[in-house]
Amino acid sequence: MKLTIMGIGGGSRENAIAEALASSSRDVRIFWISENANPGIRSAVERTGGEYAIADTTDVEAVARLARSWRIELAVVGPEEPLFRGVADELDRLGIAVVGARKELAVLEMSKAAMRRIQWSHGIPGRLLFRAYRSYADAIADIEAQPDAPTWTQNVVLKPARQAGGKGVKVIEDRQAYLHGEKAAFKVKHAEWLDGYVAGYGDLGERILVEEKVWGPEYTVQCISDGHSVRCFPPVQDNKHAFDFGMGPETGGMGSYSSGRLLPFLTGAEYDRSVEIVTSMVKAIEAETGLRYVGFVAGQMMLTEVEGPTLIEMYARLGDPEGVNAMASMVTDPVDLLESAIEGRLDGLRMEFSDDATVVEALAPRGYPEYRDLAAGHPVSVDREALSREGCRIYWGSVHEEGGSVVTRGSRAAEILATGADPPGASARANRCAGAVSLADGWRLMHRNDIASADMISRAVRTAERVRALYRYRAERGILGRRLDWIPGRGLVDPADDIMREVTAL
Amino acid sequence: MAVLDGSEIRRAPAGDADDPADGLPGHAGIGAVVSGDDSWFDVGGVALAGDGVPDVGWPEFAAAVEVAMSSRDPASAIADVVGRTGGHYSFVALSRDGILAAARDPGGSLPLEVGSMGFDMGAVASESAALEVMGFEHVGPIRPGEVLVMDPLAVERATAIPRDGSRCSFEYVYNARHDSVMDGMSVYAVRERIGELLAEEAPADADVVVGIPETSLPVAAGYSRRSGIPMALGFVSSVGRVRTAGLQSALDRIAGVQLKLNVIGSSVDGRDVVLVDDSVVRGTTLRNVVWNMRRKGARMIHVRIGSPQLTGDCPLRRVPPRDELISSNLSEDEIAAVVGADSIRFLSSDGLRAALGADGFCTMCWRDRP
Repeated sequence: MKLTIMGIGGGSRENAIAEALASSSRDVRIFWISENANPGIRSAVERTGGEYAIADTTDVEAVARLARSWRIELAVVGPEEPLFRGVADELDRLGIAVVGARKELAVLEMSKAAMRRIQWSHGIPGRLLFRAYRSYADAIADIEAQPDAPTWTQNVVLKPARQAGGKGVKVIEDRQAYLHGEKAAFKVKHAEWLDGYVAGYGDLGERILVEEKVWGPEYTVQCISDGHSVRCFPPVQDNKHAFDFGMGPETGGMGSYSSGRLLPFLTGAEYDRSVEIVTSMVKAIEAETGLRYVGFVAGQMMLTEVEGPTLIEMYARLGDPEGVNAMASMVTDPVDLLESAIEGRLDGLRMEFSDDATVVEALAPRGYPEYRDLAAGHPVSVDREALSREGCRIYWGSVHEEGGSVVTRGSRAAEILATGADPPGASARANRCAGAVSLADGWRLMHRNDIASADMISRAVRTAERVRALYRYRAERGILGRRLDWIPGRGLVDPADDIMREVTAL
Repeated sequence: MAVLDGSEIRRAPAGDADDPADGLPGHAGIGAVVSGDDSWFDVGGVALAGDGVPDVGWPEFAAAVEVAMSSRDPASAIADVVGRTGGHYSFVALSRDGILAAARDPGGSLPLEVGSMGFDMGAVASESAALEVMGFEHVGPIRPGEVLVMDPLAVERATAIPRDGSRCSFEYVYNARHDSVMDGMSVYAVRERIGELLAEEAPADADVVVGIPETSLPVAAGYSRRSGIPMALGFVSSVGRVRTAGLQSALDRIAGVQLKLNVIGSSVDGRDVVLVDDSVVRGTTLRNVVWNMRRKGARMIHVRIGSPQLTGDCPLRRVPPRDELISSNLSEDEIAAVVGADSIRFLSSDGLRAALGADGFCTMCWRDRP
């Protein structure tokens, strides 16, 4: 009997998962649901004799109907929105084993404020000072009350309190001395925009999150949980900025790399502590909800001077593009992995990874991320020969296949994967391969040239060394995680105490 | 400076550069402090601020850049212009369509550095210090021959085929702020090495080392460290930093400005002094400084210069012509007599090359001396 597996989601990450499952040594039939006709997923599905349906992946009823009609035994959910809407809950109710967090568990990703509160109330390290507001008016009232505010509120990151497809994060720092006059106005303007943006989802009371600004190299730790244990993939470094030099607006991720078990700028101890933090978060949300967390989970981490490894955000899924690195570096059979997760046997699974470096570069039509209407509707052409000559793989993303042509839908159209002995070598190959994909109408397909370049890596190593020296200095003096502030009239204050008081009062 | 205000480029008087909030409605702007008005060009819908000189001259070059900026692929089109244009130059340009372009000539004569800010776009400046004080994160150089184009949709890069390096060594000796990093090299570190090599090449028997602010302070620190002679602060300037419009005129002006350097008497009174300066143009400054120090009680004064003698053959025209340069016309002993010092020695050209520690520099303004 062939095992029937259903996947959900139509991006490059899902293409990579579908491809990995279809290449399993196990006898499987792959079924898939996505909103766009993804040619890579279609090819994986067809190879196993499965079926592919185009449907709204957040429509719980529609997904359940398809799963039943296909007699699915195991489901895997790629993106976060179906999880937020309760797709995993419904499949579970129907007796279909699913790798994907239940709605109440996916709160770790959906509500950035709830995630932070759980972290504080469970005493999990690697946390940031934060404030969450129900509305723009509340945030403004607080921002305007500057004279008594602790110093950290001067250097903040304004975020949507809900996971909003990797959009809307703004960094506002006081050291922009020459732009000081504009800064307060900018905070107000952005808070107003966020208010409206998050209100559009209509599913969270809190809309605006203000967090202390931290500084350091970022990395993603992706894991899978079976409700008993959490097993993690090698760390991956993602790059959120749209353009070279780390410039430009925030995107879902323009490129990522891994280099065997660790990243060049990360120590084993830092990776282990990051795994501990993610694991503790999973245990904490399980304790809060009484549910087993079965699914992928990831921590978007940063090494910071105040905390060492620090949790910036969480995913209730694999990252995109980081999930492509994860699939590429995994030697363990992906079907065995998913089966172990649903059967609670992850602890006994041999998780093996290649020592090769993996580099993923996202290709996005000019206009992405802020002018998606300009980025949509362009036919894509691929020089397959050039790709195979360089040994690259392509994973399709935000495209739709119709009548033999593949057309962009406005987001990242595809991701190129190159592997090799070291990241800069793989990066150079990925760059050459990116040139093999273009838009047939002459519109420009953008990619970053600097992902995993020697320059990028040496800068990350240098930054990490500085941050490491600072957090070790704090650790040696017993002040890791302490932030001391002197506020006239209040005296010596650790703003963390304020947060703790607020969190435990709830 | 020039700012893009909606769809029009507006030239603002230089004074407005102090208050960008006044002129930047969230679009784009460019400004030039060093170049002065002679390197400003408004061609059609493009404002361009240039440094150095392209071989075809700025007006023709700016016109070519304007055409390239309105093409379908501005980065590559500008790279073509840069690739076929000789000379020594860098520029930033702003178009009415909201495109900001910056490039260096294929020899990389003049530095350009890039800064990013949060999830906004970025900035380009001739020195990293300018980026950092405005709150940008300095992320690296534009490479020789490289073109960087920013517009509301994207940041793109293209590169003209590089030529032999002709990076301006005068930038490191004199021009740049020493908190800047250019092409990955710390200006401060270069100046300190200059001081160390100067101490090896031209030792002096003295009680104290003093440097003329600002540029020469790291050179004096290096000299002091290598020679073991303690360093002291010799001057307080009454005018703040000397860095005004037009370097050539700044060199003229510096003589007057440095008259306002007041000697700290207790640093030099009754002592033999090593007086360190970065370069000598006419010797006017040096003569004033030397006599002011003598009036405050300095005994022997050994002048040490952190660069070779100037010859005046600067392709960027940053150095005055030969007949205006004291070191092109007089020997070290004669210069010492003119400025009133007990000795004067210049760093050798090999010393300067060693301090720069890399190839690809233009050293045309320095005299090669065995």
